[in-house]
Amino acid sequence: MNLSLLKTIKSERIKLKRSPVWLAFFVLPIISAFFGTFNYVANQGVLKKEWYSLWTQHSLFLCYLFMPALIGTYCSYLWRLEHMRNNWNSFLTAPVSRFSLYCGKLSQAVVMVLIGNAWIFLLYCLCGKITGLPGLPPKESISWFACGILGGIVICCVQLAISMVIRSFAIPIGIGLAGGIGGLVMTNKGWGLYYPYSLYCMGMRANNPNLALDTKVFVISSIIYIVTFSVVSVIGLRKHETAF
Amino acid sequence: MKTLKLEFYKIKRRKVWLTMFAMLLVQLLWGLWAFNNPKEWELESGWLSLLYSLSMLDGIMVPTMMSVLASRLADIEHKGNTYKQLETLRSAGSLYHAKAVCGCIIIAAMFAVQFAFFITLGYHLGYAGNPDVKYYLLSYVLKIASNISLFLLQLALSMLFANQMVPLVAGLGGSMAALLLMFVTNYSFLPWGGNLSAALVMSDWDETTRISTYYYRTFTSAETAAVIAIFIWITAFYVGGRIIFTHREA
Repeated sequence: MNLSLLKTIKSERIKLKRSPVWLAFFVLPIISAFFGTFNYVANQGVLKKEWYSLWTQHSLFLCYLFMPALIGTYCSYLWRLEHMRNNWNSFLTAPVSRFSLYCGKLSQAVVMVLIGNAWIFLLYCLCGKITGLPGLPPKESISWFACGILGGIVICCVQLAISMVIRSFAIPIGIGLAGGIGGLVMTNKGWGLYYPYSLYCMGMRANNPNLALDTKVFVISSIIYIVTFSVVSVIGLRKHETAF
Repeated sequence: MKTLKLEFYKIKRRKVWLTMFAMLLVQLLWGLWAFNNPKEWELESGWLSLLYSLSMLDGIMVPTMMSVLASRLADIEHKGNTYKQLETLRSAGSLYHAKAVCGCIIIAAMFAVQFAFFITLGYHLGYAGNPDVKYYLLSYVLKIASNISLFLLQLALSMLFANQMVPLVAGLGGSMAALLLMFVTNYSFLPWGGNLSAALVMSDWDETTRISTYYYRTFTSAETAAVIAIFIWITAFYVGGRIIFTHREA
Protein backbone atom coordinates (compact mmCIF):
# COMPACT_ATOMS: atom_id res chain seq x y z
CA MET A 1 0.00 0.00 0.00
CA ASN A 2 1.09 3.54 -0.76
CA LEU A 3 3.09 4.92 2.21
CA SER A 4 1.47 8.37 2.12
CA LEU A 5 -1.95 6.74 2.20
CA LEU A 6 -0.98 4.80 5.32
CA LYS A 7 0.24 8.04 6.87
CA THR A 8 -3.03 9.84 6.20
CA ILE A 9 -5.07 6.95 7.60
CA LYS A 10 -2.90 7.03 10.71
CA SER A 11 -3.23 10.79 11.08
CA GLU A 12 -7.02 10.60 10.69
CA ARG A 13 -7.10 7.98 13.41
CA ILE A 14 -5.11 10.30 15.67
CA LYS A 15 -7.58 13.13 14.99
CA LEU A 16 -10.44 10.89 16.12
CA LYS A 17 -8.64 9.55 19.19
CA ARG A 18 -10.81 9.70 22.33
CA SER A 19 -13.58 11.39 20.39
CA PRO A 20 -17.02 10.12 21.46
CA VAL A 21 -18.29 10.11 17.86
CA TRP A 22 -18.63 6.29 17.79
CA LEU A 23 -21.17 6.55 20.60
CA ALA A 24 -23.91 7.63 18.18
CA PHE A 25 -23.40 4.47 16.08
CA PHE A 26 -23.68 2.49 19.28
CA VAL A 27 -26.79 4.16 20.77
CA LEU A 28 -29.09 4.68 17.76
CA PRO A 29 -29.18 1.00 16.69
CA ILE A 30 -30.00 0.11 20.31
CA ILE A 31 -33.04 2.44 20.24
CA SER A 32 -34.12 0.90 16.94
CA ALA A 33 -33.56 -2.67 18.18
CA PHE A 34 -35.45 -2.00 21.41
CA PHE A 35 -38.55 -0.53 19.77
CA GLY A 36 -38.34 -2.95 16.82
CA THR A 37 -38.29 -5.98 19.07
CA PHE A 38 -41.07 -4.54 21.23
CA ASN A 39 -43.20 -3.98 18.14
CA TYR A 40 -42.43 -7.48 16.82
CA VAL A 41 -43.41 -9.15 20.10
CA ALA A 42 -46.59 -7.05 20.35
CA ASN A 43 -47.69 -7.88 16.78
CA GLN A 44 -46.68 -11.51 16.37
CA GLY A 45 -50.19 -12.25 15.10
CA VAL A 46 -49.46 -10.19 11.98
CA LEU A 47 -45.67 -10.53 11.81
CA LYS A 48 -45.41 -14.27 11.21
CA LYS A 49 -42.16 -14.60 9.29
CA GLU A 50 -39.98 -14.93 12.39
CA TRP A 51 -36.39 -13.77 11.63
CA TYR A 52 -37.53 -11.94 8.48
CA SER A 53 -40.28 -10.03 10.31
CA LEU A 54 -37.92 -9.13 13.13
CA TRP A 55 -35.43 -7.78 10.57
CA THR A 56 -37.99 -5.40 9.02
CA GLN A 57 -38.87 -4.09 12.48
CA HIS A 58 -35.21 -3.55 13.35
CA SER A 59 -33.99 -2.05 10.16
CA LEU A 60 -36.78 -0.17 8.37
CA PHE A 61 -36.54 3.30 9.91
CA LEU A 62 -32.94 3.01 10.98
CA CYS A 63 -31.81 2.33 7.41
CA TYR A 64 -34.13 4.74 5.59
CA LEU A 65 -34.05 7.76 7.85
CA PHE A 66 -31.37 7.64 10.47
CA MET A 67 -28.31 5.93 9.02
CA PRO A 68 -27.92 8.54 6.23
CA ALA A 69 -28.11 11.31 8.85
CA LEU A 70 -25.82 9.39 11.19
CA ILE A 71 -23.23 8.81 8.47
CA GLY A 72 -23.67 12.51 7.67
CA THR A 73 -22.85 13.35 11.30
CA TYR A 74 -19.69 11.25 11.15
CA CYS A 75 -18.57 12.79 7.84
CA SER A 76 -19.23 16.29 9.19
CA TYR A 77 -17.15 15.40 12.20
CA LEU A 78 -14.30 14.18 9.97
CA TRP A 79 -14.15 17.56 8.19
CA ARG A 80 -14.92 19.61 11.30
CA LEU A 81 -11.29 19.96 12.34
CA GLU A 82 -10.21 21.13 8.88
CA HIS A 83 -12.95 23.79 8.82
CA MET A 84 -11.71 25.26 12.10
CA ARG A 85 -9.42 28.29 12.05
CA ASN A 86 -6.58 27.87 9.49
CA ASN A 87 -6.44 24.11 9.54
CA TRP A 88 -7.22 23.86 5.82
CA ASN A 89 -3.81 25.36 5.13
CA SER A 90 -1.93 22.82 7.22
CA PHE A 91 -4.14 20.00 5.89
CA LEU A 92 -3.48 20.90 2.26
CA THR A 93 0.23 21.52 2.74
CA ALA A 94 0.85 18.04 4.18
CA PRO A 95 3.48 16.24 2.05
CA VAL A 96 1.01 13.72 0.68
CA SER A 97 -1.23 13.65 -2.38
CA ARG A 98 -4.76 15.06 -2.29
CA PHE A 99 -6.04 11.63 -3.18
CA SER A 100 -4.37 10.18 -0.09
CA LEU A 101 -5.82 12.97 2.05
CA TYR A 102 -9.27 12.08 0.80
CA CYS A 103 -8.74 8.35 1.22
CA GLY A 104 -7.67 8.96 4.83
CA LYS A 105 -11.05 10.53 5.55
CA LEU A 106 -12.98 7.93 3.57
CA SER A 107 -11.23 5.06 5.33
CA GLN A 108 -12.45 6.26 8.73
CA ALA A 109 -16.02 6.64 7.51
CA VAL A 110 -15.93 3.16 5.94
CA VAL A 111 -14.60 1.61 9.16
CA MET A 112 -17.44 3.22 11.09
CA VAL A 113 -20.03 1.92 8.59
CA LEU A 114 -18.52 -1.56 8.99
CA ILE A 115 -18.63 -1.42 12.78
CA GLY A 116 -22.11 0.16 12.73
CA ASN A 117 -23.48 -2.59 10.47
CA ALA A 118 -21.84 -5.32 12.51
CA TRP A 119 -23.47 -3.85 15.63
CA ILE A 120 -26.90 -3.73 13.93
CA PHE A 121 -26.56 -7.42 13.00
CA LEU A 122 -25.32 -8.40 16.43
CA LEU A 123 -28.34 -6.69 18.02
CA TYR A 124 -30.60 -8.45 15.51
CA CYS A 125 -29.19 -11.87 16.47
CA LEU A 126 -29.36 -11.12 20.19
CA CYS A 127 -32.94 -9.81 20.07
CA GLY A 128 -33.98 -12.79 17.92
CA LYS A 129 -32.66 -15.21 20.50
CA ILE A 130 -34.16 -13.21 23.40
CA THR A 131 -37.60 -13.32 21.78
CA GLY A 132 -37.19 -17.07 21.35
CA LEU A 133 -36.81 -17.35 17.59
CA PRO A 134 -35.62 -20.81 16.50
CA GLY A 135 -32.23 -21.46 14.92
CA LEU A 136 -30.00 -18.78 13.46
CA PRO A 137 -30.74 -15.77 11.24
CA PRO A 138 -31.32 -16.73 7.58
CA LYS A 139 -28.23 -17.17 5.43
CA GLU A 140 -29.40 -14.32 3.19
CA SER A 141 -28.49 -11.99 6.03
CA ILE A 142 -24.84 -12.28 4.90
CA SER A 143 -25.88 -10.69 1.62
CA TRP A 144 -27.87 -7.98 3.50
CA PHE A 145 -24.76 -7.21 5.51
CA ALA A 146 -22.38 -7.06 2.53
CA CYS A 147 -24.73 -5.03 0.31
CA GLY A 148 -25.53 -2.75 3.25
CA ILE A 149 -21.85 -1.93 3.65
CA LEU A 150 -21.50 -1.14 -0.05
CA GLY A 151 -24.59 1.12 0.10
CA GLY A 152 -23.21 2.73 3.26
CA ILE A 153 -19.93 3.54 1.49
CA VAL A 154 -21.94 5.34 -1.22
CA ILE A 155 -23.53 7.58 1.43
CA CYS A 156 -20.07 8.14 2.98
CA CYS A 157 -18.76 9.42 -0.36
CA VAL A 158 -21.76 11.71 -0.93
CA GLN A 159 -21.70 13.11 2.60
CA LEU A 160 -17.92 13.56 2.59
CA ALA A 161 -18.21 15.67 -0.56
CA ILE A 162 -21.03 17.75 0.97
CA SER A 163 -19.29 18.23 4.32
CA MET A 164 -16.07 19.20 2.60
CA VAL A 165 -17.78 22.08 0.80
CA ILE A 166 -20.22 23.20 3.53
CA ARG A 167 -18.43 24.59 6.56
CA SER A 168 -21.42 24.18 8.87
CA PHE A 169 -21.48 21.03 10.98
CA ALA A 170 -25.27 20.85 11.09
CA ILE A 171 -26.44 21.48 7.52
CA PRO A 172 -24.96 18.29 5.96
CA ILE A 173 -26.81 16.29 8.63
CA GLY A 174 -30.08 17.92 7.57
CA ILE A 175 -29.19 17.08 3.97
CA GLY A 176 -28.56 13.47 5.02
CA LEU A 177 -31.98 13.27 6.66
CA ALA A 178 -33.68 14.84 3.63
CA GLY A 179 -31.73 12.44 1.39
CA GLY A 180 -32.98 9.48 3.43
CA ILE A 181 -36.60 10.64 3.13
CA GLY A 182 -36.04 11.17 -0.60
CA GLY A 183 -34.72 7.59 -0.67
CA LEU A 184 -38.03 6.36 0.70
CA VAL A 185 -39.87 8.05 -2.17
CA MET A 186 -37.40 6.88 -4.82
CA THR A 187 -37.53 3.27 -3.62
CA ASN A 188 -41.31 3.40 -3.67
CA LYS A 189 -41.21 4.71 -7.24
CA GLY A 190 -38.91 1.83 -8.22
CA TRP A 191 -35.90 4.10 -8.82
CA GLY A 192 -34.06 3.09 -5.66
CA LEU A 193 -31.10 1.56 -7.47
CA TYR A 194 -30.32 4.88 -9.14
CA TYR A 195 -30.48 7.14 -6.09
CA PRO A 196 -27.46 7.18 -3.72
CA TYR A 197 -29.40 7.42 -0.46
CA SER A 198 -31.63 4.45 -1.36
CA LEU A 199 -28.77 2.07 -2.00
CA TYR A 200 -28.05 1.48 1.67
CA CYS A 201 -31.60 0.47 2.60
CA MET A 202 -32.04 -1.53 -0.59
CA GLY A 203 -28.81 -3.38 0.15
CA MET A 204 -29.98 -4.06 3.68
CA ARG A 205 -33.43 -5.14 2.29
CA ALA A 206 -34.82 -2.90 5.03
CA ASN A 207 -38.44 -2.87 3.89
CA ASN A 208 -38.54 -6.29 2.29
CA PRO A 209 -36.13 -9.08 3.26
CA ASN A 210 -37.42 -11.18 0.35
CA LEU A 211 -36.63 -8.49 -2.21
CA ALA A 212 -34.97 -9.99 -5.27
CA LEU A 213 -32.24 -7.40 -5.58
CA ASP A 214 -30.56 -7.11 -8.95
CA THR A 215 -27.08 -7.45 -7.44
CA LYS A 216 -25.28 -6.61 -10.68
CA VAL A 217 -27.10 -3.30 -11.13
CA PHE A 218 -26.76 -2.59 -7.41
CA VAL A 219 -22.98 -3.08 -7.44
CA ILE A 220 -22.49 -1.11 -10.67
CA SER A 221 -24.68 1.75 -9.42
CA SER A 222 -22.81 1.82 -6.09
CA ILE A 223 -19.40 1.84 -7.79
CA ILE A 224 -20.46 4.64 -10.13
CA TYR A 225 -21.57 6.79 -7.18
CA ILE A 226 -18.46 5.97 -5.13
CA VAL A 227 -16.12 6.85 -8.01
CA THR A 228 -18.09 9.98 -9.04
CA PHE A 229 -18.28 11.52 -5.59
CA SER A 230 -14.69 10.55 -4.76
CA VAL A 231 -13.49 12.22 -7.95
CA VAL A 232 -15.58 15.32 -7.14
CA SER A 233 -14.04 15.47 -3.65
CA VAL A 234 -10.46 15.00 -4.87
CA ILE A 235 -10.96 17.65 -7.57
CA GLY A 236 -12.41 19.90 -4.88
CA LEU A 237 -9.29 19.39 -2.79
CA ARG A 238 -7.02 20.03 -5.77
CA LYS A 239 -8.81 23.21 -6.84
CA HIS A 240 -8.59 24.80 -3.41
CA GLU A 241 -5.03 25.58 -2.66
CA THR A 242 -5.86 27.29 0.60
CA ALA A 243 -8.82 27.68 2.92
CA PHE A 244 -12.38 27.33 1.61
CA MET B 1 -34.72 44.23 21.73
CA LYS B 2 -31.28 45.35 20.65
CA THR B 3 -29.85 41.92 21.56
CA LEU B 4 -32.60 40.23 19.57
CA LYS B 5 -31.89 42.45 16.56
CA LEU B 6 -28.23 41.51 16.85
CA GLU B 7 -29.14 37.82 16.81
CA PHE B 8 -30.90 38.30 13.48
CA TYR B 9 -27.92 40.32 12.29
CA LYS B 10 -25.58 37.46 13.24
CA ILE B 11 -27.51 34.92 11.19
CA LYS B 12 -27.61 37.19 8.15
CA ARG B 13 -26.15 35.28 5.17
CA ARG B 14 -25.73 32.16 7.35
CA LYS B 15 -28.54 30.57 5.34
CA VAL B 16 -30.50 29.59 8.46
CA TRP B 17 -33.77 30.55 6.78
CA LEU B 18 -32.72 28.72 3.64
CA THR B 19 -32.04 25.54 5.63
CA MET B 20 -35.45 25.65 7.25
CA PHE B 21 -37.21 26.33 3.97
CA ALA B 22 -35.24 23.53 2.32
CA MET B 23 -36.84 21.21 4.86
CA LEU B 24 -40.26 22.61 3.96
CA LEU B 25 -39.47 22.06 0.30
CA VAL B 26 -38.68 18.40 1.01
CA GLN B 27 -42.01 18.12 2.83
CA LEU B 28 -43.85 19.78 -0.03
CA LEU B 29 -42.23 17.46 -2.58
CA TRP B 30 -43.20 14.53 -0.38
CA GLY B 31 -46.76 15.95 -0.21
CA LEU B 32 -46.92 16.28 -3.99
CA TRP B 33 -45.83 12.66 -4.31
CA ALA B 34 -47.92 11.18 -1.49
CA PHE B 35 -51.19 13.04 -2.16
CA ASN B 36 -51.00 12.82 -5.94
CA ASN B 37 -54.13 11.52 -7.77
CA PRO B 38 -56.43 11.26 -4.73
CA LYS B 39 -59.38 8.87 -4.85
CA GLU B 40 -62.95 9.97 -4.14
CA TRP B 41 -62.83 8.99 -0.46
CA GLU B 42 -59.48 10.71 -0.10
CA LEU B 43 -60.93 13.97 -1.41
CA GLU B 44 -63.79 13.72 1.09
CA SER B 45 -61.47 13.42 4.11
CA GLY B 46 -58.62 15.40 2.53
CA TRP B 47 -58.35 18.20 5.10
CA LEU B 48 -58.34 15.71 7.96
CA SER B 49 -55.74 13.47 6.34
CA LEU B 50 -53.56 16.53 5.69
CA LEU B 51 -53.44 17.37 9.41
CA TYR B 52 -52.73 13.73 10.23
CA SER B 53 -49.93 13.42 7.68
CA LEU B 54 -48.32 16.69 8.76
CA SER B 55 -48.14 15.47 12.37
CA MET B 56 -46.45 12.24 11.29
CA LEU B 57 -44.07 13.96 8.90
CA ASP B 58 -43.10 16.60 11.48
CA GLY B 59 -42.64 13.93 14.12
CA ILE B 60 -39.97 12.34 11.92
CA MET B 61 -38.23 15.37 10.43
CA VAL B 62 -38.61 18.31 12.76
CA PRO B 63 -36.66 17.11 15.85
CA THR B 64 -33.50 16.87 13.72
CA MET B 65 -34.25 20.23 12.09
CA MET B 66 -34.67 21.82 15.53
CA SER B 67 -31.23 20.54 16.47
CA VAL B 68 -29.85 21.99 13.21
CA LEU B 69 -31.51 25.36 13.92
CA ALA B 70 -30.26 25.50 17.52
CA SER B 71 -26.79 24.47 16.42
CA ARG B 72 -26.67 27.20 13.75
CA LEU B 73 -27.70 29.85 16.30
CA ALA B 74 -25.19 28.71 18.89
CA ASP B 75 -22.13 27.66 16.91
CA ILE B 76 -21.31 31.20 15.79
CA GLU B 77 -20.41 32.00 19.41
CA HIS B 78 -18.37 28.83 19.81
CA LYS B 79 -16.48 29.46 16.57
CA GLY B 80 -15.69 33.05 17.45
CA ASN B 81 -15.17 32.26 21.14
CA THR B 82 -17.27 35.33 21.81
CA TYR B 83 -19.03 34.43 25.05
CA LYS B 84 -16.61 36.23 27.36
CA GLN B 85 -16.65 39.39 25.30
CA LEU B 86 -20.44 39.36 24.88
CA GLU B 87 -20.99 38.94 28.58
CA THR B 88 -19.03 42.13 29.27
CA LEU B 89 -21.59 44.01 27.17
CA ARG B 90 -24.83 42.35 28.33
CA SER B 91 -25.91 39.70 30.79
CA ALA B 92 -25.57 36.04 29.87
CA GLY B 93 -29.30 35.65 30.56
CA SER B 94 -30.30 38.28 27.99
CA LEU B 95 -28.03 36.66 25.39
CA TYR B 96 -29.70 33.30 26.03
CA HIS B 97 -33.14 34.91 25.95
CA ALA B 98 -32.39 36.64 22.63
CA LYS B 99 -31.28 33.38 21.02
CA ALA B 100 -34.39 31.60 22.32
CA VAL B 101 -36.73 34.31 21.01
CA CYS B 102 -34.90 34.44 17.66
CA GLY B 103 -35.36 30.67 17.26
CA CYS B 104 -39.04 30.87 18.29
CA ILE B 105 -39.72 33.54 15.65
CA ILE B 106 -38.07 31.38 12.99
CA ILE B 107 -40.14 28.36 14.09
CA ALA B 108 -43.41 30.34 14.03
CA ALA B 109 -42.61 31.65 10.54
CA MET B 110 -41.53 28.23 9.32
CA PHE B 111 -44.76 26.52 10.35
CA ALA B 112 -46.87 29.39 9.01
CA VAL B 113 -45.26 28.80 5.62
CA GLN B 114 -45.74 25.03 6.02
CA PHE B 115 -49.46 25.43 6.67
CA ALA B 116 -49.79 27.88 3.78
CA PHE B 117 -47.97 25.39 1.51
CA PHE B 118 -50.18 22.46 2.41
CA ILE B 119 -53.48 24.36 2.47
CA THR B 120 -52.69 25.61 -1.04
CA LEU B 121 -51.88 22.01 -2.01
CA GLY B 122 -55.23 20.87 -0.55
CA TYR B 123 -57.15 23.40 -2.63
CA HIS B 124 -55.08 22.51 -5.68
CA LEU B 125 -55.97 18.81 -5.27
CA GLY B 126 -59.65 19.70 -4.87
CA TYR B 127 -60.32 18.55 -1.30
CA ALA B 128 -64.00 18.77 -0.38
CA GLY B 129 -65.04 21.88 1.55
CA ASN B 130 -62.63 24.07 3.47
CA PRO B 131 -60.14 23.37 6.25
CA ASP B 132 -61.66 23.61 9.72
CA VAL B 133 -60.20 26.95 10.89
CA LYS B 134 -60.51 26.12 14.60
CA TYR B 135 -58.61 22.82 14.32
CA TYR B 136 -56.03 24.15 11.92
CA LEU B 137 -55.29 27.12 14.19
CA LEU B 138 -55.11 24.89 17.26
CA SER B 139 -52.88 22.46 15.41
CA TYR B 140 -50.59 25.35 14.39
CA VAL B 141 -50.31 26.59 17.99
CA LEU B 142 -49.63 23.11 19.39
CA LYS B 143 -47.12 22.38 16.65
CA ILE B 144 -45.21 25.56 17.45
CA ALA B 145 -45.33 24.74 21.17
CA SER B 146 -44.10 21.16 20.80
CA ASN B 147 -41.27 22.20 18.52
CA ILE B 148 -40.28 25.17 20.67
CA SER B 149 -39.86 22.75 23.57
CA LEU B 150 -37.51 20.67 21.41
CA PHE B 151 -35.69 23.74 20.16
CA LEU B 152 -35.10 24.99 23.71
CA LEU B 153 -33.70 21.61 24.72
CA GLN B 154 -31.40 21.62 21.70
CA LEU B 155 -30.42 25.25 22.28
CA ALA B 156 -29.37 24.46 25.83
CA LEU B 157 -27.25 21.55 24.58
CA SER B 158 -25.79 23.55 21.68
CA MET B 159 -24.86 26.46 23.94
CA LEU B 160 -23.25 24.17 26.51
CA PHE B 161 -21.26 21.91 24.17
CA ALA B 162 -18.73 23.47 21.83
CA ASN B 163 -18.66 20.17 19.94
CA GLN B 164 -21.95 20.33 18.03
CA MET B 165 -21.93 16.60 17.46
CA VAL B 166 -23.38 16.01 20.93
CA PRO B 167 -26.61 18.04 20.49
CA LEU B 168 -27.08 16.84 16.92
CA VAL B 169 -26.80 13.19 17.88
CA ALA B 170 -29.24 13.86 20.74
CA GLY B 171 -31.61 15.34 18.14
CA LEU B 172 -31.22 12.31 15.87
CA GLY B 173 -31.77 9.90 18.75
CA GLY B 174 -34.86 11.87 19.79
CA SER B 175 -36.22 11.81 16.24
CA MET B 176 -35.82 8.08 16.14
CA ALA B 177 -37.47 7.57 19.53
CA ALA B 178 -40.38 9.81 18.41
CA LEU B 179 -40.84 7.85 15.19
CA LEU B 180 -40.77 4.47 16.86
CA LEU B 181 -43.10 5.66 19.62
CA MET B 182 -45.74 6.26 16.93
CA PHE B 183 -46.05 2.49 16.51
CA VAL B 184 -46.52 1.86 20.18
CA THR B 185 -48.67 4.70 21.51
CA ASN B 186 -50.66 7.82 20.58
CA TYR B 187 -48.99 10.10 23.06
CA SER B 188 -45.75 10.46 24.95
CA PHE B 189 -44.46 12.48 27.84
CA LEU B 190 -40.99 12.61 26.24
CA PRO B 191 -40.12 15.99 24.71
CA TRP B 192 -39.61 14.33 21.30
CA GLY B 193 -43.12 12.89 21.45
CA GLY B 194 -44.71 16.37 21.43
CA ASN B 195 -45.67 16.23 17.75
CA LEU B 196 -47.37 12.91 18.39
CA SER B 197 -49.18 14.01 21.56
CA ALA B 198 -50.36 17.23 19.91
CA ALA B 199 -51.78 15.52 16.80
CA LEU B 200 -55.46 16.46 16.56
CA VAL B 201 -56.37 13.86 13.94
CA MET B 202 -56.06 10.09 14.21
CA SER B 203 -56.71 7.38 11.65
CA ASP B 204 -58.09 3.85 11.49
CA TRP B 205 -56.88 1.60 8.70
CA ASP B 206 -59.38 -0.96 7.41
CA GLU B 207 -57.41 -3.89 6.00
CA THR B 208 -60.32 -5.33 3.99
CA THR B 209 -61.44 -2.11 2.24
CA ARG B 210 -57.90 -0.63 2.33
CA ILE B 211 -59.42 2.68 3.34
CA SER B 212 -58.22 4.94 6.17
CA THR B 213 -60.83 6.68 8.26
CA TYR B 214 -59.69 9.96 9.75
CA TYR B 215 -61.34 11.53 12.77
CA TYR B 216 -60.75 14.32 15.27
CA ARG B 217 -59.15 12.94 18.36
CA THR B 218 -60.97 12.88 21.69
CA PHE B 219 -58.26 13.45 24.26
CA THR B 220 -58.27 11.11 27.26
CA SER B 221 -57.00 12.50 30.56
CA ALA B 222 -53.56 10.90 29.98
CA GLU B 223 -53.37 12.40 26.46
CA THR B 224 -54.37 15.83 27.82
CA ALA B 225 -51.63 15.49 30.42
CA ALA B 226 -49.16 14.72 27.60
CA VAL B 227 -50.19 17.96 25.85
CA ILE B 228 -49.80 19.90 29.11
CA ALA B 229 -46.37 18.27 29.48
CA ILE B 230 -45.27 20.10 26.30
CA PHE B 231 -45.74 23.44 28.08
CA ILE B 232 -44.01 22.12 31.20
CA TRP B 233 -41.06 21.09 29.03
CA ILE B 234 -40.94 24.58 27.48
CA THR B 235 -40.71 26.17 30.92
CA ALA B 236 -38.25 23.59 32.23
CA PHE B 237 -35.90 23.77 29.24
CA TYR B 238 -35.97 27.56 29.10
CA VAL B 239 -35.43 28.10 32.83
CA GLY B 240 -32.99 25.19 33.18
CA GLY B 241 -31.01 26.16 30.09
CA ARG B 242 -30.83 29.80 31.14
CA ILE B 243 -29.68 28.97 34.69
CA ILE B 244 -27.01 26.53 33.47
CA PHE B 245 -25.84 28.96 30.79
CA THR B 246 -25.60 31.97 33.13
CA HIS B 247 -23.69 29.98 35.76
CA ARG B 248 -21.09 28.46 33.47
CA GLU B 249 -17.72 30.03 32.88
CA ALA B 250 -17.81 31.95 29.62
